[in-house]
Amino acid sequence: MSGGRLLLLAPMAALLAAFLLAIGGLIWGSLVRGGLGFYAELLTDPIVLRVLWRTVWIAAATTLLCVLLGYPLALFLARSRHRNLWLILVISPWLVSIVVRTFGWMVLLGNRGVLNTTLRDLGLIDAPIRLLFTPTAVLIGLTHVFLPFLVIAVLSSLLQQDRRLEEAGRILGGTRWQVFRRVTLPLSLPGVIGGASLALLMATGAIVTPLLLGGLRDRMLGTQIYTEIFQVFNFERATAMAVILLVVALLLVAPLRLLEARIRRAQEAA
Amino acid sequence: MGLSPVTRLIAVLLLVLLPAPLLIVIGASFSPRAVLSFPPNGFSWRWYAEFLGSAAWVTAFGRSALIAVLAAVLTTLISLAAALALDRAPARLRGAVETAILAPLLFPHAAIGIAFLGWLALLHLNGGFAGVLLAHLILCAPFAYRPIAVSLRQIDRSLTEAATILGATPPQAVRLVVLPLLRPGIAAALLFSFIISFDEVTVTMFLVGPEFTTLPVSIYAHIHDSADPVVAAISSILILLTALLVLLIDRLVGLRIFIDIEEEGRHAPA
Repeated sequence: MSGGRLLLLAPMAALLAAFLLAIGGLIWGSLVRGGLGFYAELLTDPIVLRVLWRTVWIAAATTLLCVLLGYPLALFLARSRHRNLWLILVISPWLVSIVVRTFGWMVLLGNRGVLNTTLRDLGLIDAPIRLLFTPTAVLIGLTHVFLPFLVIAVLSSLLQQDRRLEEAGRILGGTRWQVFRRVTLPLSLPGVIGGASLALLMATGAIVTPLLLGGLRDRMLGTQIYTEIFQVFNFERATAMAVILLVVALLLVAPLRLLEARIRRAQEAA
Repeated sequence: MGLSPVTRLIAVLLLVLLPAPLLIVIGASFSPRAVLSFPPNGFSWRWYAEFLGSAAWVTAFGRSALIAVLAAVLTTLISLAAALALDRAPARLRGAVETAILAPLLFPHAAIGIAFLGWLALLHLNGGFAGVLLAHLILCAPFAYRPIAVSLRQIDRSLTEAATILGATPPQAVRLVVLPLLRPGIAAALLFSFIISFDEVTVTMFLVGPEFTTLPVSIYAHIHDSADPVVAAISSILILLTALLVLLIDRLVGLRIFIDIEEEGRHAPA
């Protein structure tokens, strides 16, 4: 590489160095200050374990919901003649700040929110259903936040498919479901897994949505870290939990990434 | 191939539900009463007037806009330089650097926030403008780099060769041929990073301080204490701004860029 090119690359290299330094510093600092004993202590603390478990199941359930709902939507978009219009409806909420979107769900789900008021006016309920500050609300909010990631990933792999493969399946006598299961779905799997791993990663590290919709009782790892820093002022514990969060995210996402790479290689070989 | 009724039903429901919380926020922002309600019982600009009359809110808005503009311009320049430098680099080197540029996407935001807090606190840069800007540059880099890289790859090589044969020096070829053709990619990079920076809250909330905060973090803090309609008014302004930016992306670049970026990511080494 010539000197000129290296010079062009230098600012980006500096940014990357700053990022790596921050992440490296986080891990190093927590090992030096707290040591492994601190982790052992944390990982046997029943409160931390509950938070850890809640984080994993909420993130996994969010991802599953995103796949189950996002796939049909992506399929609809892929086949629609008005795709651009629908894309605006999917992308615009996606790009609005998480705080604003979560606020919208607070207005909808609160005890005196839109949903409860409407149900009461219709005479369907007497007392408000408690939705806000429950894991259900967190699940709804997180799914809303991460669904577009999945839709775009799946849509991209659907649009790449050769439509003649599906037509061939139909001509050869396959039912709609058979063609979907044997042709469309397998070809779009890399998109599904790619989108799912992104949703899983981001849901695991979410802070704002679980804080505002889940309240302070049912904490996830992100909210726990936030509380340790801003309410308990325990930087050591927060750092150690951030490292645990990194490891958990890696353990959750790595198998998906490997699976995605394997499927892609198999498809390219075929 | 036709779609099953279930697929259509899910898709239509989601296309209604995705924008719903945002539309409700906009509706509630016109409420004349001090309690957040939807549908609003009346119509007033009261909460917009309150936002514009509040020095704290307007300052936070101005700061966020300033940071977002700076982050957008700087990240785009840095990414453009890096993309040009890597354009003809050996595939392995380019793959390695691109993986590093996309790295911030692979870490949970809560962990990135803590990592930066620790690092910036050492330099006494936490709670200030510089720290937030640096973090935003790193978070925006993947979103600025990818559209430029996509555009660069779509350029017909023979055009630059023709320019060189006609006597252009390499810098001239870049300035007169490559840069004009990169315009859609550069526009997308600017708009994406502006949106990412302007909306960012999960990492930023760790880096702000008593003297310096951004708009989304102020909104978060405000909702956490009370949910009065002034937040609905500010949120509505943000929703409108985002919608305008999405339309601008559609006009200048085409929403297809979101799908192209997905595809590009798929061919990049994992």
